[in-house]
Amino acid sequence: MAVVPMKRVTIAALRKDRKKIMEFLQRRGVMELHNNIPEDEVFRKYDMSDGRQTFLRNRGRAEQALAVLDAYAPEKKGLLASFEGRKPITVEEYEKGIRERASTQELCTRILDLDKEYAELSAKIPREELEMSALEPWMSFDLPLNFSGTRHTSAFTGTLPGQQTQESIALQFEELEPDLPKDITILSSSPEQTCIFAVCEKQDSARMKEALRRMNFAAAPLSAEVPAQARKNLEKSIEDAKARREKVREKICELASGREKIKFLIDYLAMRAEKYDTISSLSQSSRVFFVEGYVPADSCAQLEQDLVSSYDVVFEAEDPAADEEVPVLLKNNGYAAPLESVIESYALPGRGEFDPSFVTSLFYYALFGLMLSDAAYGILMAAACAFVLIKFKNMEEGTRKTMKLFLYCGIATIICGFLFGSFFGDAVHVIGSTFFGKPEAGLKAIWFEPINDPIRMLAFCFLVGLIHLFTGLGCKLYMNIKNGQILDGIYDVVFWYMLVGGAVVYLLSMKMITDMFRLSFIFPPAVGKAAAVIAVIGAVGIVFTGGRESRNWGKRIAKGLYAVYGVTSYLSDLLSYSRLLALGLATSVISSLFNKMGSMFGGGLFGAIMFVIVFLIGHALNIAINALGAYVHTNRLQYVEFFGKFYEGGGRKFRPYKATTKYFKFKEDI
Amino acid sequence: MANLGFVYALVGAVAAALFAGIGSAIAVGRAGQAAAGVVAEDASQFSKVLILQLLPGTQGIYGLLIAFITMSQIGVLGGSADMSTAKGLAYLAACLPIAFVGLISAFAQGNASIAAIGLVAKDPGQFGKAMIFPAMVETYAILALLVSILAIFAIPGLTI
Repeated sequence: MAVVPMKRVTIAALRKDRKKIMEFLQRRGVMELHNNIPEDEVFRKYDMSDGRQTFLRNRGRAEQALAVLDAYAPEKKGLLASFEGRKPITVEEYEKGIRERASTQELCTRILDLDKEYAELSAKIPREELEMSALEPWMSFDLPLNFSGTRHTSAFTGTLPGQQTQESIALQFEELEPDLPKDITILSSSPEQTCIFAVCEKQDSARMKEALRRMNFAAAPLSAEVPAQARKNLEKSIEDAKARREKVREKICELASGREKIKFLIDYLAMRAEKYDTISSLSQSSRVFFVEGYVPADSCAQLEQDLVSSYDVVFEAEDPAADEEVPVLLKNNGYAAPLESVIESYALPGRGEFDPSFVTSLFYYALFGLMLSDAAYGILMAAACAFVLIKFKNMEEGTRKTMKLFLYCGIATIICGFLFGSFFGDAVHVIGSTFFGKPEAGLKAIWFEPINDPIRMLAFCFLVGLIHLFTGLGCKLYMNIKNGQILDGIYDVVFWYMLVGGAVVYLLSMKMITDMFRLSFIFPPAVGKAAAVIAVIGAVGIVFTGGRESRNWGKRIAKGLYAVYGVTSYLSDLLSYSRLLALGLATSVISSLFNKMGSMFGGGLFGAIMFVIVFLIGHALNIAINALGAYVHTNRLQYVEFFGKFYEGGGRKFRPYKATTKYFKFKEDI
Repeated sequence: MANLGFVYALVGAVAAALFAGIGSAIAVGRAGQAAAGVVAEDASQFSKVLILQLLPGTQGIYGLLIAFITMSQIGVLGGSADMSTAKGLAYLAACLPIAFVGLISAFAQGNASIAAIGLVAKDPGQFGKAMIFPAMVETYAILALLVSILAIFAIPGLTI
């Protein structure tokens, strides 16, 4: 349980080794880089962003290609695939991937070209289908649509607006060109348009054209083919395009076997881009370059040894100065490690603070268990987490920790569930009495059932709260002592212990209070009196020291009085733990509600089937909502009530320079 | 007038489920709109904003809880429905904390949730803190729930 001590490391090396050393550091992933060396005539920073841009562009293409593959040949993924984590890669695979880099890039280009072809073909098909439907009215015409006449005649093929008949057309010609010799054939007619074929003598061509124009004649789409033939051609072309499109699709699907290679390329290029980005921040002369940064003390010696044995480097490690802002890395044993993420989402320990993971772990799981407090829910949670943990060995570190967190929370829930006699609520009793005629059946609580004695549970919750709060105060004392501020420890912690602890003991010597909480014991008056004296001493101490940063005594006492007023916050903090009771009751009452609803259909087969349905849906809902509630409120008790007593945080997370990859895990020994 | 006591008690139970449920439904609905907006921009935030959306939903459950305990005690779910008017009024009074605090705290918590969803949208790393802000509001719903529960459990023992 601790914040990992850091060393400030400076590495000076030759520029010819730059690529190898930077790659080595990236794969090792134990150093956070901080270059503070100012630029001067000899040492300056080199801008490598051009190279980086190239890598990023290529990566973008590879990502596009992968997206194409995913669209045509989706990867089969299980429901739990998100737990799988990145695949570790061996040295041979890594080197093979680098050798095949060029061919993989070609593969990406081919995939993108094929995708483009597919898109073009896909656009062509509806276009030709449209052309085909435009030919539909001309089907009865057995000449090409651009037929313009013979040696002595002129022919016009086209459409007139609206539905026309021979008579209506003749009538119109009567008005426009009464004595024009002509022959009109109606090819087809619909309410929108009428397709006609008009023939006249060649010398009348101009008159005919003019007459038709005034009748709003529109020429047919030009085509050198007979419509029926044109349609046949189009049909063939569409079929052809469809077949080609299918072939392209197949080709892309065939290329899907290169998916892993493309993923490798994406990761590799991302890594290279990151390296270039980092190199841009290094101080370099024409021959030498510097790397500065922080390394966890326990990895420092190994790193030095590995670097010095392979390259000509100067490796210097020193303890960071006291006022330096050192990045924070937490390291804990298996029991407390899952809580690092909980700590991190509050704040990492700041300067002079210790890692609260362990002390948090003493309470976190128990508080969660008290709030969910159903043995069956606990078993389900723990079993699901254990299954995932065992099945997916490759899980990412963060996911693994979360799973472990819920595994431990589940175990605590099992314990609390049996203590308070809840297994799917009162399912044992309901099933026993409804289906087996044994109303005396039921899971006996090891301790007691809160639903029958809520006041007792409330008293227990306040006790848990008091222990939790006092532990928080204890942490503050520990921190004060560690930082050599023993007097502050007495003023801020011991006086409060006296005041709050004395007050609690004094209250417990009053009959009214013990009756209210139905406690079986009561402190004798003498103890109560002594406790009251202690509390008063504590209060007086706080009045005199609570405002000690002020020099003016008047101000100081006023501030001290205000500090004593802070005792009300202890009251509200303590009351806040009543949520343990409320949420615990919520779980058990709601599950009883579902059990009762299920049993309303009575015994027998139908009743049993309905019971199972209601039972499954109801308890699934209940476990989801109450587990969420338990999680949120456990965090709240930790963050607000517990951390509020001693922990501020403000540290910066340790972000080592490493390979940030998406698909593969590059192991250190590559 | 013996049966009127039962009516008062039932009104209390229904009010608990009714008001707390209305509050939660509206609050979760509004938080859901905000959450959907975030997911439209960044689908990977789904699980986080879903949790934040659900936070103001607990008031409705607390209301249901009180309604259920009350109903099972007054005999709606089987048993005799006979009680004095005073007892009925006592049940009604006991249901009021979660009915009203549930309704209003759900609104307030819904607003805090929406703000927290906005916070996660801007900085997903702050999820732990974002979750705490709406949870602070819930404290008061829990306190009201507690008062309702303690009162209801105490009523059968009263000789009124």
